[in-house]
Amino acid sequence: MKLKKWLALALALATAATLTACSNTTGGDTGTPGSAAPSGSQAAAESDTQYVKDKGTLVVGITYFEPMDYKAEGSDEWIGFDADMAKAFAASLGVKVEFSEITWDYKVEELESKAIDVVWNGMTLTDEVTSSMATSNPYCTNYQVLVYPAEKAADFENLTSLEGLSVAVESGSAGEDAAEALGASTVPVQSQANTLMEVSAGTSDAAVIDVLMAAAMIGEGTSYADLAYSVNLNEAQGLDAEEYGVGFRKGSDLVDAFNEFWDAAEADGTALETATTYGLEDAVILD
Amino acid sequence: MAILEVHNIEKHFGPTRVLEDISFALEKGQALAIIGSSGSGKTTLLRCLNFLETPDKGRIVVGGETLFDAEGPNSRKEQDIRRKRLHFGLVFQSFNLFPQYTALQNVTLASQLLAKERPDFKQNKKQIFAQIEEEGRELLERMGLANRAGHYPSQLSGGQQQRVAIARALALKPDILCFDEPTSALDPELTGEVLKVIRGLADQHTTMIIVTHEMAFARDVADQVMFMDRGLIVEQGPARQVIENPREERTRQFLARYH
Amino acid sequence: MFWTTPEFPVVVKALNEGFLVTLQLFFVTIIGAVPLGLIISFGSMSRWAPLRRPVRWALARKGRKPGRVAKALSAFRPISLICRLVVWAIRGTPLILQIIALFYVPGMLDLFTWGGGESSRFAAVAVAFIINYACYFSEIYRGGIQSVPVGQQEAGQVLGMTRTQIFFKVTLLQMIKRIVPPMSNEIITLVKDTSLARAISLKEVIWVAESFMKGNQGISGLLWPLFFVAVYYLVFSGVVTLLLGRLEKKLAYFQ
Repeated sequence: MKLKKWLALALALATAATLTACSNTTGGDTGTPGSAAPSGSQAAAESDTQYVKDKGTLVVGITYFEPMDYKAEGSDEWIGFDADMAKAFAASLGVKVEFSEITWDYKVEELESKAIDVVWNGMTLTDEVTSSMATSNPYCTNYQVLVYPAEKAADFENLTSLEGLSVAVESGSAGEDAAEALGASTVPVQSQANTLMEVSAGTSDAAVIDVLMAAAMIGEGTSYADLAYSVNLNEAQGLDAEEYGVGFRKGSDLVDAFNEFWDAAEADGTALETATTYGLEDAVILD
Repeated sequence: MAILEVHNIEKHFGPTRVLEDISFALEKGQALAIIGSSGSGKTTLLRCLNFLETPDKGRIVVGGETLFDAEGPNSRKEQDIRRKRLHFGLVFQSFNLFPQYTALQNVTLASQLLAKERPDFKQNKKQIFAQIEEEGRELLERMGLANRAGHYPSQLSGGQQQRVAIARALALKPDILCFDEPTSALDPELTGEVLKVIRGLADQHTTMIIVTHEMAFARDVADQVMFMDRGLIVEQGPARQVIENPREERTRQFLARYH
Repeated sequence: MFWTTPEFPVVVKALNEGFLVTLQLFFVTIIGAVPLGLIISFGSMSRWAPLRRPVRWALARKGRKPGRVAKALSAFRPISLICRLVVWAIRGTPLILQIIALFYVPGMLDLFTWGGGESSRFAAVAVAFIINYACYFSEIYRGGIQSVPVGQQEAGQVLGMTRTQIFFKVTLLQMIKRIVPPMSNEIITLVKDTSLARAISLKEVIWVAESFMKGNQGISGLLWPLFFVAVYYLVFSGVVTLLLGRLEKKLAYFQ
């Protein structure tokens, strides 16, 4: 009977502790622990690069995004411009690479909880992204495009306003911002690929996604042969093109390691070579 | 010497006094019947003897050994209470058989569990269990249930269930066997078989305390009868005298309702 | 139809792998939550009141009758209180929230990290499921234990059994018989609840099915895998229902 009492007590305390821990964070300090050097544990006091080297694996947070991070039909290997470069970056650090598919809405939480070490997934450098992560120099240009059913191309081709249209966007994406700015009523869904389902199924009039993805997934010979895209929404808004960057934990010194790696990859031509493999030779940023 | 001595037992449930200054003695081999209206404290007294309730005051002595003394140091340890309990057996009004066991298993379960504490259990497990089963079958036979050993309680009539319960209580060979209104939950036509079994036990000089509403039975089977009212012993004496010639007015009134 | 398409074997293979994860989560949850729930139910039924004796002693020394405060202090049962609070909190919040909190919060507070791989996500989800279901089970157990008549326990006591013996030899089976029907409901719910694990990207069968909408192995824009998954769930919950029904029948030999 004694034992049972103690077990029950221990269990109760453990659960209570977890609950208190949860309430602490909802209290609102999600930002602080990410500043890479919290007091306390010794490993945390060291650099983030050292942390990754010590555990021997670089965990790369991705979603399925052709041509950046995807798998060829019937293959189990992650390929794409981002995936290939991530493999090279991990090799330069002397660690293994591990790709982890994440829920895009939780990318910051994934980083801060150390579930992943880097978000490397054709991520547009929006204000939101740069304020919540440590980001690399931009490595790719991009703009948002409007996707619509091919047979209605005439109605959409030269639109400059999206007012009155229901437009599918990826929740929290640069496309969402663009669509809202142009007056669309948006339908936020889980991923960019899901927006294409919406248009294809006719549940949304159109979608706004990255041009790079549209180029890879839409048109003849793809899964979405019945869709078409045009209209550079960045131009329509009078904005500059967007840029892709790689995101790390706030305050992480992996940013420096990445920028160095990228400079070297530019210098020896591997960056351009890899970009060309995936048809991105015009989009990749080379100084 | 009396096998059971009860001295000045008192018991409260909150502000209600259920037992007041209960004292009596019981000789070995004798049967004591306790009568009284419901709420008079009869059942609580039995429960105190079986350590299902703890008296607030008083002493309980069995065979010269003080089992309980409200004034003295009372161990609340399960082991000690268990050992003391084994001096008593209790047959419940509602049988309380274990539904998932057969009649025989109901009778032998406690003995088997107790046998595990014997130092020679490991070497002689087979013989010990065989002997327990043998004794269990004998007990059921004495209860007239030899052909019901493999039945589950739900397959038995109320009278049969109560007889299994008596066999179960006897299996541990208690010094004093207590019955708490053993026939109250039975249909009238089934009480006879249970009373007959108890009568048989009395004939074999089993020491018993029987709380009952069967006045004729109390008169014929018990040596002593005790009448309780509102937590007090009103009258106690030889069975025939108390039932047929009560001295107290309250006893007389109570008995009048049964004639 | 979709089963004649070249994608079909690829999708089914992926769904099978996803369903294996679903099954693993299901069984790990059952194995963990069934005993843990019992501990919690004991905790919430605990009558341990550490203040009762000191209060009684203090009152006796001063020769006073217990007042309202003394009564409240005597009735204070910390283990029971904590267990009931935990059960209330877990049952009163969505499981999906618990999964997300359990996976992300420890790393953010620098307590420990689960890691980002598939097995780490599985571990976190499994812990969340075990705790959640243990709380639900504990309430079912509590009802089951309390519905066994007190007379059963008293019969055991009078026969000199220890509390442990009474629980395992007398109460337990009767309790199991009473809890099988409500437990069956909970377990069937668990089969379907496993899909909540995709909140933190565990690749269970629904996640895999959805991935063929978004893109997976060069296949995208497929809706049918999502509905095809229903077949997996139906077959599995059918088997579970059958097994639990059998158990119920097996226990029908007594009442």
